[in-house]
Amino acid sequence: MDWIKIIENTIRACVGVDAIYFAIAALGLNIHFGYTGMLNFGQAAFMACGSYGLGMTAQYFGVGLWWGIPIGIILVIILALIVGIPTLRLRADYLAIVTIATAEIVRLFVRSVKFNNIFGGTEGISNFSRQYRELNPFDPGKTYGVRPFLYTGYSFFTIIIGWVLVGLFSFFVWQLMRSPWGRVIKGIREDEDAVRSLGKNVFSYKMQALIIGGILGMFAGMVLSLDRGSVQPDNYSRMVTFYILTALVLGGLAKVSGSVFGSVLFWFLFVLSDNILREITRDGPLRIGGRTIIQSNQVGAVNYMFVGIGLMLLIVFRPQGLFGNRQEMALDGR
Amino acid sequence: MTLLCSCVAGIGFISGSAKAADDGEFFIIASVQNQVLVNNVPERAPVAGASIKVTTIDGKLIGEALTDEDGLCKIAVPTRDNYLISIDAGSLPDGLTLIDAEKSQVKITQELFTTSTKRVTFFTGDSGVAGATDFERIAQRLSDGVRLGIIIAMCSVGLSLIIGTTGLTNFAHGEMVTFGGLLAFFFNVVLDIPILICGPLVILLGGCLGFFLNWGIFARLTRRGIGLNSQLVVTLGLSLMLINFYLFMFGGRTKQLTSYSKQVNLEIGPIGITPRDLTTAVLGIMILLSVALFLQRSRLGKAIRAVSDNVQLASATGINTQKVIQIVWFAGGALAATGGIFRGLDEQVSFSMGSDLIFLMFAGITLGGLGSAYGALVGGFFIGIFVELAALFVPSELKVAPALLILIVVLIVRPQGIIGKKQRVG
Repeated sequence: MDWIKIIENTIRACVGVDAIYFAIAALGLNIHFGYTGMLNFGQAAFMACGSYGLGMTAQYFGVGLWWGIPIGIILVIILALIVGIPTLRLRADYLAIVTIATAEIVRLFVRSVKFNNIFGGTEGISNFSRQYRELNPFDPGKTYGVRPFLYTGYSFFTIIIGWVLVGLFSFFVWQLMRSPWGRVIKGIREDEDAVRSLGKNVFSYKMQALIIGGILGMFAGMVLSLDRGSVQPDNYSRMVTFYILTALVLGGLAKVSGSVFGSVLFWFLFVLSDNILREITRDGPLRIGGRTIIQSNQVGAVNYMFVGIGLMLLIVFRPQGLFGNRQEMALDGR
Repeated sequence: MTLLCSCVAGIGFISGSAKAADDGEFFIIASVQNQVLVNNVPERAPVAGASIKVTTIDGKLIGEALTDEDGLCKIAVPTRDNYLISIDAGSLPDGLTLIDAEKSQVKITQELFTTSTKRVTFFTGDSGVAGATDFERIAQRLSDGVRLGIIIAMCSVGLSLIIGTTGLTNFAHGEMVTFGGLLAFFFNVVLDIPILICGPLVILLGGCLGFFLNWGIFARLTRRGIGLNSQLVVTLGLSLMLINFYLFMFGGRTKQLTSYSKQVNLEIGPIGITPRDLTTAVLGIMILLSVALFLQRSRLGKAIRAVSDNVQLASATGINTQKVIQIVWFAGGALAATGGIFRGLDEQVSFSMGSDLIFLMFAGITLGGLGSAYGALVGGFFIGIFVELAALFVPSELKVAPALLILIVVLIVRPQGIIGKKQRVG
């Protein structure tokens, strides 16, 4: 087994683009989940709003890349209204049902043949990022960084931009939650009726939180698609939301640091186990006593199985995650 | 019928014939073939007059042509590069549609040009509804819808009763459906046991899965005082674990049960239905009716409805709520597995067959009212029919979208559902 390669890959994953977009999406999900107590299981749909906001600038509107941000925000608001208006007055699990369904329908819409001219169908959209690439001061042909953090000029640029965004958004969320607005939000999580009795419009606050968290999800989708240079509908399956949720719970709900470190740690563990399994199965399937245990094409499934088990164990045995505070961990506020 | 077509043919790449063209000349040959099943044997015939377009990835037009008598057309392309080849579905002769509407566009990359020509084939097929009159199409959809509705209703009862008796929204319920389908596949195909014999065993095992999920996980969590929303996240983790476990064990491809897989359509008036589908439909309706009768008449059924209505009150009248909850999990699992078997017979078996249905189940139980067993029966049945009928108006790839519309409209207008009592659900 090539341990040096495994360790290098693992360390590199901790600062890579995957950890970045997870961190941003998890910050958004944290506003919903950790601070407001709203069970949003459709964060992937909000990410898709961002990616397709960017993609549609080239595919449909024919305008510059930066129009993607206002387009994305409009899409996020529309989506938040669709899922929020029917459910935010009801019990928490209604939002869960509607968001999970909406996210799947959004994915079906963007990959459909019917709307090929807008969203690019199953192929997605791949010709929108020129303006972003022109901003890149690094030479895309060269490699930058120190071992093991070696990146092409293009990835290097995205990673720097990405971590700056993570820093900015972390600060933003931290300040937001210290503000009077944030205290109302946390109050809603603890006891909705009490907040209502103070004359606050709970529905409106929840909707605002849904939109703000969704906009963070949108930026996560943008980082992802700028790095990939393409928008692919299958990057936004409902599973993605579950992985981000796992990262969030791993770090700790209702903590800014939890979202960021949770994402880093998630990718650390994920890539570590992925690489180890791939090394084991590289020279043929692993056999114990003549029975095939695992083949190389099953590594992905096994790894995601671990994610599911991890999520269950975390919620049961350490719901506050690594950095969270048990008192603040209030999925069940009342 | 549709399924048989799409399983035997999607889109095929036939490697380029090495017709010697001088270097620098590249061609894309598109072929359009119509495929019909004659006694379950696919027969192909060329389609003339279909409009084929070759564009670059950015959408720049390279060339356009109509297919000739042999269903072929040849379009010259400048270099060995990535192209999109698309067929204009509107240009197909009347009554023909692409077998898989998603495959109206094919991307070829430069590596695929092993020679100077690259051949791409589009398959059209008579899916059994095209060319029929409106009445026949509606009747056919209605019959498909009834079969889907039976399956959705069957799967939703357990989901709704679990919500009613424990308050837990079980997102892993789709995986309990898949469990039934995959076990049926294991017994039927791997061990070669007829489905009529292994079916009851699968249903029993499905019930056991439900029972053990409650006994091993959710009852313990409730005893530890872990709240319902946390348990809901646990069901997500469970769903994630199970679906990947199925993928690990079964692989990502869809497969067919062997029992009754090759059957010829019976024509009953305007509807074409196989004897197998007719049998499952009749059996399904019988199962649903007996579930309803059981809930309405038997002592246990009454106890289940009482607990589902109000746990404290039921407990105060001397009903053993824990036992009822165990029974509900068992029955829910058994019904979900039954739904999985039926779905596997109706369509095919895959690792995600249940989770593909879970939205429809949620739409169904929300329509009927969360926690109500009758609501789940009625709502699930209605959603199945509605979704199939909606496919007359929306593209079939988007046919579940109207179910979401129902979900949202119901939550705005009548969040307690059509059967539920008016009470605060907030």
